[in-house]
Amino acid sequence: MPNPSSSTLQDADRACRVSSPTVLVVDDEPVTRLRLTARLTRLGYRVIEACDGKAGLELLRRARPDLTILDWMMPGLDGPTFCEEVRCDPAICASQILMMTGHDQPEQIAEGLARGADDFLSKAASTQEITARVQAGLRTATLIRALEQTTEDIRRKQDILEQELRSAAQYVASMLPVSGPLLPGVRMDSVYRPALTLGGDLFNVLPWNEHLLGLYLLDASGHGVSSALRSASLATFLREESLRHQVGSKDPGAILTAANQQFPLTDEGHYFTIVFARLDLRARTLIYATAGHQGAVLHHRSGAVTELTKPGLPLGFCVPHVYETTEIAVAPGDRLYLFSDGLYEVPGPNGELWGRVRLIEAMQALGHRPMADVIAGIVEQATRWLGHDRFPDDAAMVGIELGD
Amino acid sequence: MEDAATFDLGETLALVDHDWETFQMMVELFTEQGPKDLAAIHASMAGGDAAALARAAHRMKGALLQFCAPAALAAARSLEEAGQTGMLQGATERCAVLETELRHLWAMLRRVIEQRGSV
Repeated sequence: MPNPSSSTLQDADRACRVSSPTVLVVDDEPVTRLRLTARLTRLGYRVIEACDGKAGLELLRRARPDLTILDWMMPGLDGPTFCEEVRCDPAICASQILMMTGHDQPEQIAEGLARGADDFLSKAASTQEITARVQAGLRTATLIRALEQTTEDIRRKQDILEQELRSAAQYVASMLPVSGPLLPGVRMDSVYRPALTLGGDLFNVLPWNEHLLGLYLLDASGHGVSSALRSASLATFLREESLRHQVGSKDPGAILTAANQQFPLTDEGHYFTIVFARLDLRARTLIYATAGHQGAVLHHRSGAVTELTKPGLPLGFCVPHVYETTEIAVAPGDRLYLFSDGLYEVPGPNGELWGRVRLIEAMQALGHRPMADVIAGIVEQATRWLGHDRFPDDAAMVGIELGD
Repeated sequence: MEDAATFDLGETLALVDHDWETFQMMVELFTEQGPKDLAAIHASMAGGDAAALARAAHRMKGALLQFCAPAALAAARSLEEAGQTGMLQGATERCAVLETELRHLWAMLRRVIEQRGSV
């Protein structure tokens, strides 16, 4: 496969040779202009002329020559001021300018270069020197044009890629459950903030029957496209039909044990953390298992908090490995929150992380408010700590509230 | 035979790749524009305007650089420096030198063109 930048450069160079390069000569002194124009025409270039700086600048903007040969001293707009105006105009700032002067003093050359000229040519220059400097200027112009073309190509491809990422992100968002009532007396609210367009966090609720609800929040290491694809793959594994065929059980520990077999550590060292829970409304129990996931909290109606975290390995670290199931009682008014570490591992201006403790404190402080407001308030406090609204990692939180 | 201090035809033709047509056009332009530039030099000196003198002499110098005319070039350069430094004492004498050298040069250029035309 050809190297794209190299082929762009060759294309630009070829284009430059096929259509003869255009050289703009700006000089108020007609004899010098005539001699230079004649020389350049003999060299095969297309030459356009201007008799002062103002006319030259207009012609440069209109004709976009490959090279401009510019006299230093002219009435009105002189050469160095011409250069400064060119360098300030984004549309023409990359123009190649060869400053021509009768002064060959080093300090004048330095001033010309500082004010925007690319090279110098003495008015008394030999034909050989004119040829060499013009060719050098045109070589640079060719490189700059190739660079501009490559930049434009990259920008266009970037636009296409971003459009595709937005489409993929819409698909991922469509996989997330919609906030609202799940079962009679059970409500769900959530937030999902990918670090990039696409994120590796994913959560879902699985109403298995009118009193049994499965739910999970998973966090694929890394972020971006590859994390999102791995998350989608694990989410597919966690679908009800898949669990029936591949696990044969709705026990959270059994499900994570099977997932651990299916999703070993990748060659790049990527893995998942996950919390999987089963809420039994009839028995008023919450059965759950975690794999290296720290973000699971039961906020009781009383205001007390039970952290549903246990030390454990993320998925894929050790195969085979048995993940244990834990059971606790739940009561009407309790709220279950699952969240990813991206929501609380946010650095403040001095690098200190906001942390899980502050998140739980915020949860308790806001506990009297509707659950959607609690989640929004937690995100707001994390954002305030961070100092901006771009989370460095994917951030997600899902809350389940048991009604009376 | 031209005086090398006034004008070097061989070198001038080398500057235009020995293209006679271009040379002829340069001469036409210079014999038309040169007197105007010389008038501008006179006017700036009469007005005591050093900056205008520097500009006009610089322009004359640019044209002379295309003709390999060292004597006139030196006179124009000297006037340009006088204008740049604002030291206009002696400028009248330098201007007279330039005018003399220019008259020699223009005469020589006309002769070269006529000789070529008669060949």
